[in-house]
Amino acid sequence: MPKSLLSIQEVSKNFDEIEALHEINLEIYSGEIVGLVGSNGAGKTTLLRLMAGVYKPSKGSVNLSNGESVTTMRHELGVVPESTGLYSRLTAWENIRYHSRMHGIPDKVSWARTEKFAELLDMKESLSRHTKGFSRGMRQKTALLRALAHGPNILLLDEPTAGLDITSARTVRAMVRQLRDEGGTVVYSTHQLAEAQQVCDRIVIMHNGEIRADGSPAKLLSDTDTESLEEAYVSLTLDQARTRQEDNDKESAFSGWWRRLSTPRTPATTREVMEDE
Amino acid sequence: MSDGSFLRVRAIAKKEIVEFSRDWRTIIAIIVIPLLMFPLLFILFPVLLESEAAELDALELSIVVQTDGMPENLAENLSLSGMNYTVELLPNLTHLSEPGLDIERVRGSSTDAILRIESNEDVWGYAIIHMSTSERSNEARSRILNVLSEWEDSEIRERIEQGGMDVNTTLDPLRWDGEIAAGDVATSGEQSGMILSMFIPLVLAIWTYSSAIQPSIDMTAGERERGTLEALLSLPCTRMELLLGKWLAVASITGVGVLLQIFGLLFAIGYLASSNFIGVPQLSIVSISLIIVSIMLFAIMVVAFELALAMRSHSVKEAGSILAPALMLILFPALFTQLINLDGIEGFWFAIPVVNILLALRELLMNRVITEHVIIWAISSVVYASLAAYYASRQFNREDIVTSLS
Repeated sequence: MPKSLLSIQEVSKNFDEIEALHEINLEIYSGEIVGLVGSNGAGKTTLLRLMAGVYKPSKGSVNLSNGESVTTMRHELGVVPESTGLYSRLTAWENIRYHSRMHGIPDKVSWARTEKFAELLDMKESLSRHTKGFSRGMRQKTALLRALAHGPNILLLDEPTAGLDITSARTVRAMVRQLRDEGGTVVYSTHQLAEAQQVCDRIVIMHNGEIRADGSPAKLLSDTDTESLEEAYVSLTLDQARTRQEDNDKESAFSGWWRRLSTPRTPATTREVMEDE
Repeated sequence: MSDGSFLRVRAIAKKEIVEFSRDWRTIIAIIVIPLLMFPLLFILFPVLLESEAAELDALELSIVVQTDGMPENLAENLSLSGMNYTVELLPNLTHLSEPGLDIERVRGSSTDAILRIESNEDVWGYAIIHMSTSERSNEARSRILNVLSEWEDSEIRERIEQGGMDVNTTLDPLRWDGEIAAGDVATSGEQSGMILSMFIPLVLAIWTYSSAIQPSIDMTAGERERGTLEALLSLPCTRMELLLGKWLAVASITGVGVLLQIFGLLFAIGYLASSNFIGVPQLSIVSISLIIVSIMLFAIMVVAFELALAMRSHSVKEAGSILAPALMLILFPALFTQLINLDGIEGFWFAIPVVNILLALRELLMNRVITEHVIIWAISSVVYASLAAYYASRQFNREDIVTSLS
């Protein structure tokens, strides 16, 4: 039985009136790639942010295997957010070094790890370049190097291949599998079922803030009595998907009133569009 | 603060300063402009004014004198003032100041000004038709007024003499005995402190606030907009460490700007002191130390306040539209403070936010260390700085700062 590294128990997360996650229970085991799959607004990013300690659960707990909360043990985690979060006026290495220093890792240790992984990602020559001119793929690879430089036990990746070209996406996926083969643990969020099937050992299907299914691809097929993961996914998410919850930022009554007042009514007919012109 | 915590705060501050200083526009805004502002204002500006004045003096102007008989010595003075003039008969007008048909001659620049002068028994009436928006016309008017003033003086003296009176005792019956400056018991250093206290607190307050705007926005709303905050928040640093690191970076950048500006100001004062325009203020060590403490407390409050406001914003644009008008919160109290009379001032003024530090600076620049005032402004400033820091920490602890518009 593999060792549990991260335990999410009875976790709910509310943003004001909106419940973004509802009573989530999930165990992340050592040496596996767990795919969080769901449409936009399913709650994948919120769950990853809870795992990373960026959000605090409204209810329940997110603890590491030693019982400590993730907020106190963040050096156990390597995080690659969807936006990559690189500083454009710093070089790739300076970005990596900054995060490593925050983890309390000496520069020479993080350099050694970075050099090793940069070779694999074909990024060694680019470490001294400012990230301003980097392509999406290079940014993603740099963020991956940054997340690995301090030697985390768990890697949290939010849509790591979104917007990447085919070659870069393949490289990232290969890297993730290699990390798993070396004993690493990865939580991987995506809305591409095919990708999850290709990369992940275990797939967690999320919909409207709930976990609808959790298991290996084969288990999902047998549980849902379907022949493809796509059919399984559809059968598990028949109710209408909601919009992303975090984007519903608080707006003051005055701001809302002013926005509505300064926004013209959208025309309802072709005739009205022509009249507007 | 533990060693690890200190190292993280230092790493955050260092990274922010390095990143911020890699933009050459920032270097110009923080180093070049503050350094040059006062020297340009106090040295170059007067030089420019002098050269402009010399240029005006060298102008050859042409005017028309309309009169029914001009006094002889007035005609001589006009000839000596660098103006060519032609004499015409006075037009028929109710008042001399009505431009009448001459309006187009002045507006069309066919003449720079028209002097109308007529005798009315013992009194002369006059008017100058000119165009106030033309530099040549204004200069012509100014020279005509000088000539008329000199002529009037000589006319007054002549009439007093004709009346059998002594000109000097009649015109100047009350006289200062000795040097005027000798009657002032304030030292030149105190006088300089008084002059500087009228604008240094104002400039310091505005500059501290305005030079902190850009780094505050860049390090908070900028991070939020660029989506770099989420990765940062997943690191093993507390939100308080994050705030401290960023505060240290903004305060350092602002401090460099303000110090350079003071350096430029001292250079300008030194230059002006060499020309006896203004002396060097005499300040005790206690005054200088308290000035530094007051500026530091003010900077802590302002930077924390700006970081908090910027952190509330979702984007650089939104933060800019909040922080720029918030300058009024500094500007109005700063302007108001210049009007407050420091002699016998009540203690409560030293407890009002912003006003307290500016009044303290005014007093200290005049080398007045009044213990009661120092205690009030020091305690109230510590309270305001703590409140601003608490407000900033609350903003940094908000969960929604991780979301960005992008």
